[in-house]
Amino acid sequence: MTTRLPRTIPWMTIAFALALFIPIFGTRFYTSVATDVLILGLFATSLNLLLGTTGLVSFGHAAYFAIGAYVCAIAMKTFEVPFLLALPLAGLAAGAAALVFGYFCVRLTKIYFAMLTLAFAQIVWAICFKWNDVTGGEQGFNNVPYPDLAWMEVLPGLSRMRVGELYFYVTLVVVCLCLYVMRRITNSPFGRILTTIRENPERAEFVGIDVRRFELAAFVIAGLFAGLAGALFGIFNRGVFPDFGYWAKSAEVLIMVILGGMGQFFGPLVGAFTLVVLNQQITSYTEYWPLVLGLLLIVLLYAFPAGLLGTIADLVKSLRGRRNA
Amino acid sequence: MRKALLAAAGAAVLSLGVAVDARAQDIKIGMPMILSGPGALFGEPALKGAQMAVDEANAKGGVLGRKLQLIYKDSKGNPDEAVRVAREMILKDEVDFLVGTFTGAEGPAVSPIAKENKIVFIAPVSKPDALTAPKNLHPYLFRTATTTTIEGRSAAELIAKLSVKRIATISPDYAYGQEVTAAFVAHLKKLKPDMEIVDQQWPKLGEADYTPFINAQLAKQPDAVFSSLWGGHFVTFIKQATPLGYFKRINNNFVAGGEAGSIESAKAIGDDYPLGIWGNSYDAFNWDGPPAHKDFIERLKKYTGQEQPSSWPSVGYIAVQVLVEGIRKANSTKSDDVAKVLPGLTVDTPIGKQTISPKNHSANRGQFWGKMVKDPRYTFAVMEKPMYLDPTPFLD
Repeated sequence: MTTRLPRTIPWMTIAFALALFIPIFGTRFYTSVATDVLILGLFATSLNLLLGTTGLVSFGHAAYFAIGAYVCAIAMKTFEVPFLLALPLAGLAAGAAALVFGYFCVRLTKIYFAMLTLAFAQIVWAICFKWNDVTGGEQGFNNVPYPDLAWMEVLPGLSRMRVGELYFYVTLVVVCLCLYVMRRITNSPFGRILTTIRENPERAEFVGIDVRRFELAAFVIAGLFAGLAGALFGIFNRGVFPDFGYWAKSAEVLIMVILGGMGQFFGPLVGAFTLVVLNQQITSYTEYWPLVLGLLLIVLLYAFPAGLLGTIADLVKSLRGRRNA
Repeated sequence: MRKALLAAAGAAVLSLGVAVDARAQDIKIGMPMILSGPGALFGEPALKGAQMAVDEANAKGGVLGRKLQLIYKDSKGNPDEAVRVAREMILKDEVDFLVGTFTGAEGPAVSPIAKENKIVFIAPVSKPDALTAPKNLHPYLFRTATTTTIEGRSAAELIAKLSVKRIATISPDYAYGQEVTAAFVAHLKKLKPDMEIVDQQWPKLGEADYTPFINAQLAKQPDAVFSSLWGGHFVTFIKQATPLGYFKRINNNFVAGGEAGSIESAKAIGDDYPLGIWGNSYDAFNWDGPPAHKDFIERLKKYTGQEQPSSWPSVGYIAVQVLVEGIRKANSTKSDDVAKVLPGLTVDTPIGKQTISPKNHSANRGQFWGKMVKDPRYTFAVMEKPMYLDPTPFLD
């Protein structure tokens, strides 16, 4: 009798288990980088729900990140709402904004869709920049409190950790839950319909799919998860700024998705990791980082046409195919 | 005897080892500074000034027998990037102190990080009053920059001396412009209750077309104008206002904050600079000041290799100088100890005595003001007889 091994290796569970040890064996710096990567990875994955799964190019995804960040920060600091309430509130607010903006955006296609998402994002940025009394304007909304994590100290191994390390665990759990839900969504019949729309919207329409409605649903879900990422980032950053909603942020997250590979569910996470680490390494050595980073990105995009993870996956597949043949 | 000798030798070796160890341990100062994009024009020279202060201190044998080391990273003018590099410098490079940040957003962004890690943070350029407002102040935060209150009140002091009645303002419509203009208006009303604010224009930050604002302002017939348009915004404004006869109509009674008198702004505007208006800057190489300042300018010329050095090195230099004096006075390189002695500390800087107020942890940093003129010795407009406006008399 042989024990049956699972056909696929549970990479996600292994990665989660390994990540648990980062604050224990790594330095505080690595913990901080890991927190950054996780949050931006969630942000990028949420965009990929539009880009990779549904085939919608959004140039304004940062808007929902910013809305989530501001809602969570303002709720926690100004109204002293506990984190456990403020976080879902941020996601819902971002999702609601995505519903309103998306209602108009999905009426357009291709470049027009992209331009309208950008326009809405710039409106969000302008509101954050101007509304001094609520958002703090250009100087930002500062001194965002960490959630109350004292209760975590009773957990084994976490008794003597600083709040920064404890926050890493909060981020890890929230991000993994979000990724799990998004993966379920992508692999569900609903996700399959989104892929159908990506492949051929006209045909999907003929089959009887209400393309606009499904696109809007994807837009809202993506906005919701971007809002959750923003909420986590605002606390991690200890301050929320209008820059969070600026077009440059939308471009940055777009690069993460493309760099990691939009055909793979975990591509954006790999892209976020790569961009964060590259940025950190290059800016440590030179202030001419835009030149170096730009050149590296060009090389990477040429060498890995399907993104880092996408190209590796293709390679593995072709190797396996050869072995089986 | 032999034993004693051995022991002595052992002790010598030990003490040598300790000495070497102490020498190897530099005092690390982390500097997040804007070094890319348009802001690099000001960030680079500010960094140079800080580096010069560090090099000078090291040439004199360092501080408390240890060398200083300046670790700098590009903040990109982004508050979240400033937070990221500040964290990196604290957690990875293990800096003992932070001196830096540039924009009005970067300073307040890094402040909570300094507090969280208990690292002294000195802001050399961030002006917003909110940075050191009671609700945001903490034991590790200090500022050697001027503030929006000081800048606005300085401009009011200047305009109050002119024989004008109808005053107008034009400022970018965001936190800095609003704060500095509010400080200007409030102080002017106190100084000269009979002066009247006849018009206030608020172009958005980064406005490309100032013509409607200029025309609307001229229609109200002001005698004098205060502006806080800065950098490239000021350059664009000047290029559009001059052909419309704006400065002639107000008789050059134009007081421009936002470092409009700095070399960088003067060079960018070139021959179009409206001569006769008032500008300000953090320092002035042609100031007829005390010997200490002249000496500083001479050293700066050598250090940067520039015949007319920028006004920005002054901010980095003074911030590091204040920190060094703090370390000396505390006789410790621990942020906790230095944070205790900095409030109330007075330092002899090239621009005069600077005192960190115990109340709001900010220095009495004024700026240089002067009428802009064309001097045949220079290819750009400069302040004629720049004067340092000490804000102490008009601070709360």
